[in-house]
Amino acid sequence: MTETVDPITLQVIGGALHSIAEQMGNVLYRMSYSSIIRESQDLGAGLFDRDFNTLAESDSTPMHIGSLPGYLRGIEKSIPLDAWKPGDVVIHNHPYYGASHSPDIAIVMPVFNDGELVGFSANTAHHVDIGAATPGLIIDVPDVYSEGMLLNGLKLYDEGRRNETLWRYIRENTRVPSLVMGDLAAQVASAELGVRRFQELLAQYGTATVIQATRQLMDYSEAMLRREIAKIPDGDYTADGFLDDDGRNRGKHLPVKVTVRVRGDGVEVDLTGSSPQVPTAFNVPFEGSTKVACYFAFRALLLDTYTNTDPIPANEGSFRPVKVTAPPGCIFNPIMPAAAEARFSQIQRVADCIIKALAPVLPDRCTAGNAATLSFAAYSGVRPSGDYWVFLEVNEAAMGGRPNSDGPDTVEELMRNTRNNPIEDLGMHLPLICDRYEVRDDVMPGAGKFRGGMGVVKSQRFIGAGSITHEADRHDDVPWGIFGGHPGHGGRVEVYNAADRSKVGQHPAKFSGLLTNPGDVMSYLSPCGGGYGNPIERDPAKVLDDVLDGFIDPPHAHDVYGVVLKPVDDGYGWAVDLPATEKRRAGMS
Amino acid sequence: MAQPRDRSIATRVGVDVGGTFTDLVLERRDGDEARIVVHKVPSTPSDQSIGVVRGVTEICRIAGIAPDEITLLFHGTTVATNMVIERRGAEVGMITTRGFRDILHMARHKRPHNFSLQFDVPWQSAPLVKRRNRIAVTERLMPPDGRIETPLDEDEVRAAAELFAKRKLDAVVIAFLFSFLNNAHEQRAKEIVQEVMPDAYVCASSDVVNVIREYERFSTVAMNAYIGPRTASYLQQLEGRLREAGVHAPVRIMQSNGGISTVENSIRRPVGLLLSGPAGGVIGARTTGEACGRPNVITIDIGGTSADISVIRDGQLTIKNPRDTQVALLPVLVPMLDIDAIGAGGGSIAYVDAGGAFRVGPRSAGADPGPACYGQGGTEPTVTDAQVALGRLDPDQFLGGDLKIDAALARQSIKTHIADPLGLSVTDAALGILRIVNNNMALAINAASVAKGVDPRQFTLMAFGGAGPLHGVALGEIIAAKDVISPLHPGITAAIGLLETQLQYEYTRSVLTVLSRAGADEYAMLEDSFAQMIAEGAAQLESDGIATDKRHYQRVIECRYVGQGFELRARLPDGPVTAASLDAVIADFYEVHKQVYGHAFDDQLVEAITLRVIATGATVPLQLPAIPRGGRTDPAEARSFVRETVFDDGQVLPTPRYARGKLLADDIVRGPAIITQHNSTTIVPPGYTARVLSHGDITISR
Repeated sequence: MTETVDPITLQVIGGALHSIAEQMGNVLYRMSYSSIIRESQDLGAGLFDRDFNTLAESDSTPMHIGSLPGYLRGIEKSIPLDAWKPGDVVIHNHPYYGASHSPDIAIVMPVFNDGELVGFSANTAHHVDIGAATPGLIIDVPDVYSEGMLLNGLKLYDEGRRNETLWRYIRENTRVPSLVMGDLAAQVASAELGVRRFQELLAQYGTATVIQATRQLMDYSEAMLRREIAKIPDGDYTADGFLDDDGRNRGKHLPVKVTVRVRGDGVEVDLTGSSPQVPTAFNVPFEGSTKVACYFAFRALLLDTYTNTDPIPANEGSFRPVKVTAPPGCIFNPIMPAAAEARFSQIQRVADCIIKALAPVLPDRCTAGNAATLSFAAYSGVRPSGDYWVFLEVNEAAMGGRPNSDGPDTVEELMRNTRNNPIEDLGMHLPLICDRYEVRDDVMPGAGKFRGGMGVVKSQRFIGAGSITHEADRHDDVPWGIFGGHPGHGGRVEVYNAADRSKVGQHPAKFSGLLTNPGDVMSYLSPCGGGYGNPIERDPAKVLDDVLDGFIDPPHAHDVYGVVLKPVDDGYGWAVDLPATEKRRAGMS
Repeated sequence: MAQPRDRSIATRVGVDVGGTFTDLVLERRDGDEARIVVHKVPSTPSDQSIGVVRGVTEICRIAGIAPDEITLLFHGTTVATNMVIERRGAEVGMITTRGFRDILHMARHKRPHNFSLQFDVPWQSAPLVKRRNRIAVTERLMPPDGRIETPLDEDEVRAAAELFAKRKLDAVVIAFLFSFLNNAHEQRAKEIVQEVMPDAYVCASSDVVNVIREYERFSTVAMNAYIGPRTASYLQQLEGRLREAGVHAPVRIMQSNGGISTVENSIRRPVGLLLSGPAGGVIGARTTGEACGRPNVITIDIGGTSADISVIRDGQLTIKNPRDTQVALLPVLVPMLDIDAIGAGGGSIAYVDAGGAFRVGPRSAGADPGPACYGQGGTEPTVTDAQVALGRLDPDQFLGGDLKIDAALARQSIKTHIADPLGLSVTDAALGILRIVNNNMALAINAASVAKGVDPRQFTLMAFGGAGPLHGVALGEIIAAKDVISPLHPGITAAIGLLETQLQYEYTRSVLTVLSRAGADEYAMLEDSFAQMIAEGAAQLESDGIATDKRHYQRVIECRYVGQGFELRARLPDGPVTAASLDAVIADFYEVHKQVYGHAFDDQLVEAITLRVIATGATVPLQLPAIPRGGRTDPAEARSFVRETVFDDGQVLPTPRYARGKLLADDIVRGPAIITQHNSTTIVPPGYTARVLSHGDITISR
């Protein structure tokens, strides 16, 4: 038995673990090659105990945070705990053995102290191409085998000896080996750093003390979340929505149904009633993705790092109060061999529906409907040399209005938080040129006391021939307004040739391997968030700001917000006519 | 190293403005004789120049000289930074490329918090340029060569400028996509705006920072314009007030990159001043390190609410990776010293949170109400209260007796808020506060050192700022530093640093060339680009009156492996650009990559992204006078009294106090001991020995 670690040592060890995870994430994104890792930071890194509990995770993309324990449990099926040796490096991406989805490859190294396996140093990163049916991304494919390389707990290094055959196999089964191999090397460097630093910590304090401290830190994070859950009245809270389609069967909406059962200081998210699994890649791996979305929602709602200044350690404790249920064969818990690569838009909707379900009892912590989607575009082509180029772009969307502030415009919402790629850097290195990157101006924001965020419009032009696969959703099910706020807007995809703007093709949110000609442009217009609260309660000064900033026009200010503007000759053009506004608003309420 | 003998009389003054105090140092040099005077006056936040002038007037009086005898005045200021943090800058207009009006609004589309729904997005809620004042005009440049696909519509530019004039904007920026490849459109648009708005502060993105990455470049130029008009009026006002006070010396301003600049250049490029405040301290630490024979120093400047950390390696300052140069979450692509700030200092508050965790900071009691022991209404225990409760700060001697503090209040606040809730004794709680805050600082030091390939065992830790020497040894022990320095004047290190700077200007060009494939054309292009930048630097130094033999140019190529996203700096050897010199660049890049990331690849191509010339004009270094030699051990002459003091291991020992002013060179003080001076206290724990060096600095080691 180990004694309780004193509160001071606990802070010291907790700080050290957090710092190690941060450094692991740092090395990974700074060393890596592909823009999806280095710019977008689509990665996660952390330390784990031998029971696969998360001890610390880097503060990177939420989707990755909480997914690694699933990988570790999956790897155990092929490498039992007693088969690990110092110097082993294992690679894993099998979606039916815990992976988040197949392009998110994990690198795992064991951590030994005094000859005893103490835990793991591991990271995941999204790889540009793993040799799937279409470059970069896949939608309309028959099964998991179309996803490309399935690496199920294989040793890249065996007791420090490099497995050259496996490295060669990977090199020859991706379209972009120069990126993928460099990124894997960065992942190995990051995991090695974690091993080294974790071992130093164990040497300093002893395994028993460190492990005991991690248990207390997990209990602490768990207790902090349970305290907040306990404040929510017991009950079943539901919300639903639907997804556009599965990327093959057009027009067939797919229901998403979320029931949140609050009981005391615990909560269950039940996805029963959601769509059955689909015949394309538009399914969600349960362990590595569905569960992670639910963990995220409760942390963001209840332990919001902006409104709570006490940092809560990012560890297993925050997962424990949340139970996740999805019946096998459901889109959120597919059965092998269903493909399950394109899963992000669905889990965004899970998180958003949890927020919607709890909004009536958490009016000060929720949001109106968020865009809750993800536009993932894979642009590709073959260079004159015969080499492929593949570029994965994440397009941002917007959030719904909030209790005290507008929904942010053009931002990474919910489960994602990547960085965009500088368009100048892309222009210098790829046969692709950005023609437009702005706030959407074809619609006005979801009105409310606090308005919804505006989405983005991004137009990419092909210089040569190529192809696009696009994974997104939410053209049809518009983000909702809440507490009197108005709904936002759905997304759109337009394809046209720069030489002839008169012929604009409207495309569904998901399509696979669309061939492009030189000058072809894809414009993505992301969904916009819903409004929070009654628009006539909006501060007239903010309504004027939105007019001057070109988000809304004066008739909209008058009709929807009840704000009457008068022309002024100051270069800006408009001022609020307060008496007229009060009169108009009195007539509206 | 032999310095040229200078027979003339020179008086140089350094003024560093902090949040609470304005620190001053005056150096009077008469031939080989140099004399140093230091002084402190309260800062005047509403107009920093008032405190500056008052301090300068007073230090002249103390030194017994007339203000017009000052030959050069150096100034570190937080004016520009505060303007950004408090959003009190100019109303700025922006003319940009059609289709890209909202680059500043979208930023890198990453939100500042992962696990939050209610977060703020400062670049949207408090933008440097409001959307209404961002006007897109027709023009288009194309990569990779900057050719014009669509010519600039000059009428649209003129119409925008006329609208801005009608709106009475103070400043306008021109920021076009791919302008780093071809600045013709930006320059033409700037001319038009200047015609329409002759009094406005106008700058183009390629003038301010001529590098790739649109958001960062646009943000940098927007920041420059945002702080430009008011920084200009501050500096002009300062010069005016100084002249009224009889100071006619030229004024030099500390920049973020560790060099100084003229007032004129600072007005043109105020974006280079954002780290003007903390930079002086790092330079001062380098000077002290050199004087102590320690070229490898980790510096930590501990103030009331925060601590600033930096690393000096082989006497060289560390420049921050451009990926990380930002102010108030807004990127600024100008070279800055690599200084990491952490919210931990003497005023950091200790508390037990709702989940029972024992925490210290980042919340701070600041100067008002201050720590509980000040008796000014503060009730929550701070780090300073812990020091007082442990008997390390003598209540009757605090700030030389200028500020009365109450140890009972310190103990009471620790008992109420920490000891009782956690079931600890007051002493253990106080030790816990220090252990946690020291650990937080040590983790930040590790992130700034170990994480970047610096091995602290080869480095000396220099802890300064008034509270620095209280933490120095404890921090040195945690990070396993070689030894610890307590500088002669811990509280005014930054002001001293100002006198050690040199004029520094930087010039950049984006080139994007794969080095290992370069041939004669590329060599010529690189030579030519560097020659142009050096010519610009020479013209600037000429106008500053720097003699030719005092000018120095460093050529840097910022490189990455082809496909990577972040560059590292590699040095180009002197002489013509050849295959051999580029091989040297690649080799240097490889070493830096290995040091920063722990790995490097020898089979990957290296791409140059940005060329940089750092032009410096040498100035006379500070001459710190030597102090008389003592050579004594535990000198009784310097000892005042003995008091019980608690050390980190919990030992309570009768501990003698030594007056720092009475210690002489080569004196040795064996721990346990406490060395006091007016605004600082140095702890020498049992088992440690302090040695006084020839200029009065103290090293402490086991």
